[in-house]
Amino acid sequence: MNGKIVAFCCENSAYPAADLAGKLGLHYSENLRIIRVPCAGRVDVIHILKALENGAAGVLVLGCEEGACRHITGNTRAKERVEYSSMLLREINLDGRVVAMFNLSPNAPHKFVKAVNDIGNITAEPGR
Amino acid sequence: METKVGVFFCNCGGAIKNIDFDAALREVARLPGVISVNLDSSLCLEEGKERMVSSIRDEKMERVVVAGCSPLLKEHIFQGILEKAGLNKHLLSMANIREQCSWVHDGDVTAKAVDLVRMAINRVLLLQPVETKETAVSKEVLVAGSGFAALNVALQLSHLGLRTTVMEEGPVLRAGSEEPAAVYGVDASSIIAEVEANENVEVLTSARVMTLEGKVGGFGVRIKKAGKETFRRYGAIVLATGHRTEIVNPGAEAGASVVSQKAFTDILRNSSLEREPRTVGFILDFSDENSRFPTLATLNSALAAKKKWGSEIYVFYKSVKVDSEGVERLYQQARDSGVVFVKSETAPKIGVEDGRVKVEGRDVFAGEDLVLACDVLVAEELYLPAEGTETFSSLLNVRTDPKGFWQDDNVHLYPVGSEKKGIFFVGGCRGDLDPGRMLADISGVAMNIGELLSAGKVAADFERVKADPQKCVACLTCIRVCPHGAIQLVRVESSKDVAQISDLACDACGVCAAVCPAKAIAFQGYRDEEILAQIEAIKRS
Repeated sequence: MNGKIVAFCCENSAYPAADLAGKLGLHYSENLRIIRVPCAGRVDVIHILKALENGAAGVLVLGCEEGACRHITGNTRAKERVEYSSMLLREINLDGRVVAMFNLSPNAPHKFVKAVNDIGNITAEPGR
Repeated sequence: METKVGVFFCNCGGAIKNIDFDAALREVARLPGVISVNLDSSLCLEEGKERMVSSIRDEKMERVVVAGCSPLLKEHIFQGILEKAGLNKHLLSMANIREQCSWVHDGDVTAKAVDLVRMAINRVLLLQPVETKETAVSKEVLVAGSGFAALNVALQLSHLGLRTTVMEEGPVLRAGSEEPAAVYGVDASSIIAEVEANENVEVLTSARVMTLEGKVGGFGVRIKKAGKETFRRYGAIVLATGHRTEIVNPGAEAGASVVSQKAFTDILRNSSLEREPRTVGFILDFSDENSRFPTLATLNSALAAKKKWGSEIYVFYKSVKVDSEGVERLYQQARDSGVVFVKSETAPKIGVEDGRVKVEGRDVFAGEDLVLACDVLVAEELYLPAEGTETFSSLLNVRTDPKGFWQDDNVHLYPVGSEKKGIFFVGGCRGDLDPGRMLADISGVAMNIGELLSAGKVAADFERVKADPQKCVACLTCIRVCPHGAIQLVRVESSKDVAQISDLACDACGVCAAVCPAKAIAFQGYRDEEILAQIEAIKRS
């Protein structure tokens, strides 16, 4: 494990939030790798699992706040897929918490950093 | 033969400090496919753009990676550069080494920057060109409804050179009888005359929409009028079906002295009472504290009644909503002219005593109960979507908010339109709007439609999202989930049905590509391969 965290970021919310974090000079782990998607609803279970297979320690799916998805149901669909992936991990006795979904708005860079830190804390737990 | 990738680093005029560009360039040059790596300090300025265009041409690059600022800021500029250099604009991938690398980490981040470029290279190698194609669109607009908002939209559109059909289910245009025309005494006859004289506006009364199909630019609408059905094509549809009001709990036996806002306006205008009322009561916003329109109507009517009859006026309210333009002032005027405002927590009880309306309420500021006998009581009104709103919703498959209005809950994402391109809402059908907001919406809709249709054609990415006819099994999943209603089934090869994504209606979200059980839908730029290639790059770093 190289401790990398893959974040699928919706270009309507999380991606600009990440940009804003940069502009404000906030800090988060260098292990984060952001993949831009047009909507969190584009992220499929296979993308999440492949990220883990390729050595990522954690996967974040970040979409718009509920009820404010540009594509109406994209974020709720993403959430279902994240929950499903998490369940698959638990079924084979892995930690389901390393896959997580967060909702945030484009003007919420602190929430973005918190999401990255939260999953970083889980993947950095001793004994992993 | 290997695809030739050109990589351009930009240090943003020195704003990216903690990356060792020499080392990064050396490392990136070794990656597969990379034929040239360049460092610039101002790619987005004119001189930088020129250098980039000539590099792409001279070195015959087939794919381009730009490592610099966020693609949300400058992607369109670099896409323009690619087009200028003769490459398809979709053959570009950007590595965000500024906002998402240099600026969020302390210390040297060269390794991460190289990682991000590696991800972008992996993706760019798989990108496919997407052509832009012009599609002809109908320059006709259907306006459903014939109220104040509907007629205004039709007139504004006619000024933009678009033909509109104003369709009304009833026998006459509604603008003359409805609010706000009635409530404010706006003379609607001039706008009706203007509409009737305008040759770009066609008026269809006693007509209704039977079926609706197709997408933006070419909606097919079957209209029934006088027992005859006609089929017509429209580029866009504006719903302006208005609202209706309903009196809240008038009190069982209160009778003719309890009136609606509109009836009271008629009384004011026509002086139809036997004698002038000495006391007038109003009940305002106990059922819905967000009542803009009823608040405006109440304040206007109270002032008018005070002026005309000099009556004593009492307004029972819970929280006067004064967020509309000019309403705070109106409220102050009403107070200054002697209108008494009584704040209560619960709606007053309405009864009858000696032929007058008895109102029993509690003034929370004075802390005492209040019994008022009035000659006329204007009842509290609810502002509701017009009848037929639901029918249209299911016909067009557009969502309503919890109260049944169209889209008032999502104004920031779609200020005047729906999630379905080409379908717009305006006026009372969008919620309890004051006239200022309504007029702003009307102009917004006209602008949007003008932009969309005036040229008679729209340029859009051609088949950027496409279902593979070989893989598609016509399971309808994509059609069901598409948030923009952009997908329909078409018959190919005389026997096979295949999902077809409308280039014009598609908003490129990729939800269909994710749900397709047959993996038949390819969304260029965000195909599974392209996303997985970026993930693959993580393994190697």
